[in-house]
Amino acid sequence: MSKKVAIVSVAQSAGPASKDNFYDQAYRVTRECLDKVGMTRDDLGTVVSASSDIFHGGISCANAYYWETTGAFLKNASRQDGESLFAFMYGAMRIMTGQYDNCLLLALCKGSENPENDTCTLMFGDPFYHRNLGLTETTSAAFQMQAYMEKYGVTKEQCAKVAVKNLGNALRNPYAHRRGKYTVADILNSAPAAAPLTDLQIAPKSEGFVAMLLASEKKAKKLTDKPVWFKGYGSSLDTYFLGDRDLLKTQLRTAAAQAYKMAGIKDPKKEIDVAEVTEPYAFQELLWCEELGFCKPGGAGKMIDKGTTEISGALPVNPSGGVLANNPYVSRGLQRLAEGFLQIRGEAGEHQVDKKVKTALAHGTHGFAGQCHAVAIIGV
Amino acid sequence: MGRPVGIIGVGQTKHGRRMDVAYPELVREAVLRVFEDSGLEPSDIDGVVSGTMPSMMEGVALTHFYFADAMQAVGKPILKTETCGSTGVSIAHTAYYWVASGMADVVLAVGHEKMNEGDAQATMTTVAEPFYQRYFIAGAPGVFSMQSQMWADRYGIPEAKIRDAAAHISVEHHNAAFENPYAHVKIRVTADDVKNSRVITYPVRLLDVCPTSDGACAMIFVSQNKAKKLGRKTAWVKGVGYRGEEYFFGDSDKGLWQGAVLAAKQAYDQAGIKNPRKDLDVAEVYNPFTFQEMLFYECFGFCEPGGAPDMVLKGTFDKKGQLPCDPSGGVLCTNPIGATGLIRVAEAVLQVTGKAGEHQIPKAKTAFSHAMGGVDQFNGVMIVGSEL
Amino acid sequence: MSKEYKTLMTEIRLPYELAYGPVWTRFFEGMAEKKIFGTKCTKCGRILVPARSFCPRCFIDTDEWVEVAQTGTLTAWSYVNYRYYGMPTEPPFISALLRLDGTDVDFLHLIGGFDVSDFEKTRKMVKNGMRLKAVWSDDRKAHIMDLKYFKPA
Repeated sequence: MSKKVAIVSVAQSAGPASKDNFYDQAYRVTRECLDKVGMTRDDLGTVVSASSDIFHGGISCANAYYWETTGAFLKNASRQDGESLFAFMYGAMRIMTGQYDNCLLLALCKGSENPENDTCTLMFGDPFYHRNLGLTETTSAAFQMQAYMEKYGVTKEQCAKVAVKNLGNALRNPYAHRRGKYTVADILNSAPAAAPLTDLQIAPKSEGFVAMLLASEKKAKKLTDKPVWFKGYGSSLDTYFLGDRDLLKTQLRTAAAQAYKMAGIKDPKKEIDVAEVTEPYAFQELLWCEELGFCKPGGAGKMIDKGTTEISGALPVNPSGGVLANNPYVSRGLQRLAEGFLQIRGEAGEHQVDKKVKTALAHGTHGFAGQCHAVAIIGV
Repeated sequence: MGRPVGIIGVGQTKHGRRMDVAYPELVREAVLRVFEDSGLEPSDIDGVVSGTMPSMMEGVALTHFYFADAMQAVGKPILKTETCGSTGVSIAHTAYYWVASGMADVVLAVGHEKMNEGDAQATMTTVAEPFYQRYFIAGAPGVFSMQSQMWADRYGIPEAKIRDAAAHISVEHHNAAFENPYAHVKIRVTADDVKNSRVITYPVRLLDVCPTSDGACAMIFVSQNKAKKLGRKTAWVKGVGYRGEEYFFGDSDKGLWQGAVLAAKQAYDQAGIKNPRKDLDVAEVYNPFTFQEMLFYECFGFCEPGGAPDMVLKGTFDKKGQLPCDPSGGVLCTNPIGATGLIRVAEAVLQVTGKAGEHQIPKAKTAFSHAMGGVDQFNGVMIVGSEL
Repeated sequence: MSKEYKTLMTEIRLPYELAYGPVWTRFFEGMAEKKIFGTKCTKCGRILVPARSFCPRCFIDTDEWVEVAQTGTLTAWSYVNYRYYGMPTEPPFISALLRLDGTDVDFLHLIGGFDVSDFEKTRKMVKNGMRLKAVWSDDRKAHIMDLKYFKPA
């Protein structure tokens, strides 16, 4: 990599509905992120935000409305649509050119104000074919789950264990939206949604404003004693028609391979200390772990049985509670990365993992059955 | 500036009312052309930047899903850049930063819009929140016309002269569109036609306004090494500038638009441009409204504040003038919004690589491109040159 | 281009519930009481209207409330003479920016209270710098249209 980029500060808002408005919430999170490292707006180099247009917020060209809330008045700034790890990549690139020594990232989503998640994801489909058949992220995830269980013999109990683990982890995360001590039976007996998915295996609709300050090597050292370095990134997009895809061979493999190559990671299972993945549907954490190379295809059911991905396990996955606990649609990728940052710095509070964390992986996905994936690796 | 970045291919659709094709097919038309123009294959692409106007205008959310195949983006990293009207130039900026950062050697940039399928002005109204500004901005023409009115009233220039200058621009661009095979509106108009056309949003009349177009534009950005290996005619990115202002329309002066001034300044400083009117050979200014185009000339230093109407009437910005502006016919004749800013960059590239055909400005070496957006908030600039 | 293939007519309607938050709740409650509130930035000293929670330039909280004048001068205007979905009122109407007395930014609203059906007559009457005065609706709902428009003073 030509120039090193560090994460030096993060701030986030909590998942439940707030009566504060979108504009003011965005400002407060930005302000907190800058205050943590004593930055003023004048020092701010550039800004990249991530949000989603009207369907996920009720306002078109969303960054027109929130522009100044990110400190961007008369700054060079830009915006990514739909996935906040895209904004991370774009912000890092801006610093890597040497033109800016810092970049504020802000992911914005106020789920409490929006229509149901699937009312929004229905709009990903073309208006002629997929949309008329009611294809949403949830129905496509249900197809994927069915195919996954049938192919590998992974059981619905093993899938439910992901929700037990993550909603349990969320008891220790003050920002989480949904949390609780559940049993596998509780999860499986929750209201049926799109079979085989039940209600507690599906992420809620949350609020989430996540701010992150990136800095060049020189600037990072001035701002903090504990910079966390950007090590690798990859992303990949799959074909549009669901029927044209192998739902169990996803583009996450491609995205992860790019990120691992850039970060020089040969054996992810050993070299990644903690992973925060985007699992809006419980079984997806298992499938994504396989696609990320944490175990062999079909092996994640046994991995969760063994407790490997528990907060105290050998490779903790979603110690924050993940997306099942907090699902601000666009912000969730950057939120995973912010959690990785906190784990590396030992600042994750009650959900800090037991082991020393040198390298963390953050994953974001959006689209039907994971049509698009992004992976970021950060470390000491 | 990071690593040098070149542009080696441009693909545009025939812009217009394109109900003959479905939206993905329109996108694909531009993508096929950029591969044809650059001689590259989809397998050569390291990453794709896509962008458009907001979902409400598309009727589809997060269009990169739907257009993954049309953009040949399957299995590739993607960035989805959207900044309202300035989306197109922001897409070009993203592709530039991607290559300049060293994270990729070959990046495909795609901007697209099928405006005839949605309700553009209703969408523009939803750019404003529904508490306050939404009631008054009157779609895009409302704010931009208030800005034009503010500017036109500022320097004590007789209204008749300003209208003559606006009509001059309209006539010039409508004529220019005949020389651009991709342009949408191809009609001959006279100055009287423009001045007597119906008031849409005063001071803007029907022939002062851009059309509603469908269209897409694709470009390929490459690193210096890659450009050298390919050995093709290359346009080099010389300057990249962008600025944004507050959401609240009344917070900043729009008559001498600070964001536009500073976006251009950032790009000029990088490109070493001291006297824009002399140092630039051609400019593609984002001009959905004739009056606003004059304001931009002033903000970009093409003339003094208040000096634009006189210079326009003298022909300074005509095709044969000192600094030809929008020889493609500009936004006034073609406006598929999500693609429009990228088309400005593409036209600048065509000019400095000598590939602009009938609307080529002879010996153009340095070209300026621009787009704007938001509630009169955003300005983005990209300057390209024929020499590294 | 001639239409050779089919098109699909469709419509999308989605419900949203948007929070006003504390600052705008107070601002709009002011509207119901025929008051226009701004907030003052303690750093740059500007009075921002409508009221804001922070100053976009100084990037600090603005918690000093000020009731501002209901008179001001015209900064810019447009005679809107086309139809679009979501219009505040039937065209033609006049969208305007005006500087309320004592404030430091322009306020966006409508100009009305006289016959605007004839454009040329309207243009002779409306001038930047003209004095304007707020006209309130009798039926107020803590909404921006509680203020009907500004009329020539």
